[in-house]
Amino acid sequence: MAVRVQFENNNEVGAFSKLTNSYCLVAIGGSENFYSVFEAELAETIPVIHASLAGCRIIGRMCVGNKNGLLVPNTTTDDELQHLRNSLPDKVKVQRVEERLSALGNVIACNDYVALVHPDLDKETEEILADVLQVEVFRQTVASNVLVGSYCSLSNRGGLVHPRTSIQDQDELSSLLQVPLVAGTINRGSEVVGAGMVVNDWCAFCGLDTTSTEISVIESVFKLNEATPAAITSEMRSSLIESMS
Amino acid sequence: MRIETCYFCSSKIYPGHGMHFVRNDSKIFKFCRSKCHRAFKKKKNPRKVAWTKAYRKTAGKELSVDPSFEFEKRRNVPVKYDREFWMKSLEAIRKIDIIRQRRANHFVMQRLRKARELEIQHDVREVQRDMALIRSPAAGLKERRAQEEGIVEEVHESDDEMEVTNASEHLAEESDMEEALDSDEAPELVEVS
Repeated sequence: MAVRVQFENNNEVGAFSKLTNSYCLVAIGGSENFYSVFEAELAETIPVIHASLAGCRIIGRMCVGNKNGLLVPNTTTDDELQHLRNSLPDKVKVQRVEERLSALGNVIACNDYVALVHPDLDKETEEILADVLQVEVFRQTVASNVLVGSYCSLSNRGGLVHPRTSIQDQDELSSLLQVPLVAGTINRGSEVVGAGMVVNDWCAFCGLDTTSTEISVIESVFKLNEATPAAITSEMRSSLIESMS
Repeated sequence: MRIETCYFCSSKIYPGHGMHFVRNDSKIFKFCRSKCHRAFKKKKNPRKVAWTKAYRKTAGKELSVDPSFEFEKRRNVPVKYDREFWMKSLEAIRKIDIIRQRRANHFVMQRLRKARELEIQHDVREVQRDMALIRSPAAGLKERRAQEEGIVEEVHESDDEMEVTNASEHLAEESDMEEALDSDEAPELVEVS
């Protein structure tokens, strides 16, 4: 399911939240309406944590994470780090990284297996990234733009990239990621796909301005409207019928 | 709330004090007061300014290499809250603090002891050099010559007795001035240590 949501009249929900398969972070100080949208969708399965990083609410741009771990920038205070550790599940590793490019969400895009990173990222950060998030790391650009985290949005089932990404680039990226990619926009034509939406394997949140066309693209590329029982009936149907007959 | 340390003088910065300077390459410098900030702006090296902690450590004035310093540092991997664990760490912090203080004090005492030794050496040298002020080397020269000519053997025999009884008397009698002064050194050293 893709859901439209707004943070204090702002459509860039990817900046104010972070969604993975094992937890969801939302910025503090927003309206209850924003939280309740996330909690209604997710609270049964994964924890929804209210957090800030370095006193900022733009947590989605500051941190990077997947189901295995979470990396936060070196400006994160000790209290915030402790709060994250206490509220996240035990199997999620949390680490603070000493990186010059402190907006980790902008320079790193990742799912549970692969990460695309900014070409100038530190060697040490890359190692920590591979270690904590348990991903393979590739230095890449999206549509000749170094801020890979801002301009693409990834899950384990698909990815949405900057609308001006060439077909060759898309092919190259999707062969690295091993997931299908689509070039598209969000929030009525916005190019900053990473900031405009958050996505995990079963659910997506995008800005309130997102058109129904954009929603349908998102749902199809991230395979969000195929519920599990439907998958059994559709994808496994032929083999089932064959065995029954 | 973290109590930071000053980039320049390494003192503690409590909330509401000092200022942060963020350089172009995003390195953050924290200063406890304008004195430190000004020194930084003048491109002073904290290791070469005598009133900083960095100077005292590099110059060997204070304990700098010790395992007790390894406990206090910025950690990037947090530990989940556990009351038991926190109470224990709090106790450990107090204990470590006492140990560290003891070691630092011991280090300083060792350093001061070295100074005392140097002082003694200096005193001895002064006595050696300025002995002539107390008693002229020429004093009693005639008598000694006369004695040397007359009874050389007798003087040599009575040497040991003389040293024990009166060092200064022995001094005057010795023909070689420097030898006499060497024996003079001994009693003074014994007194001090």
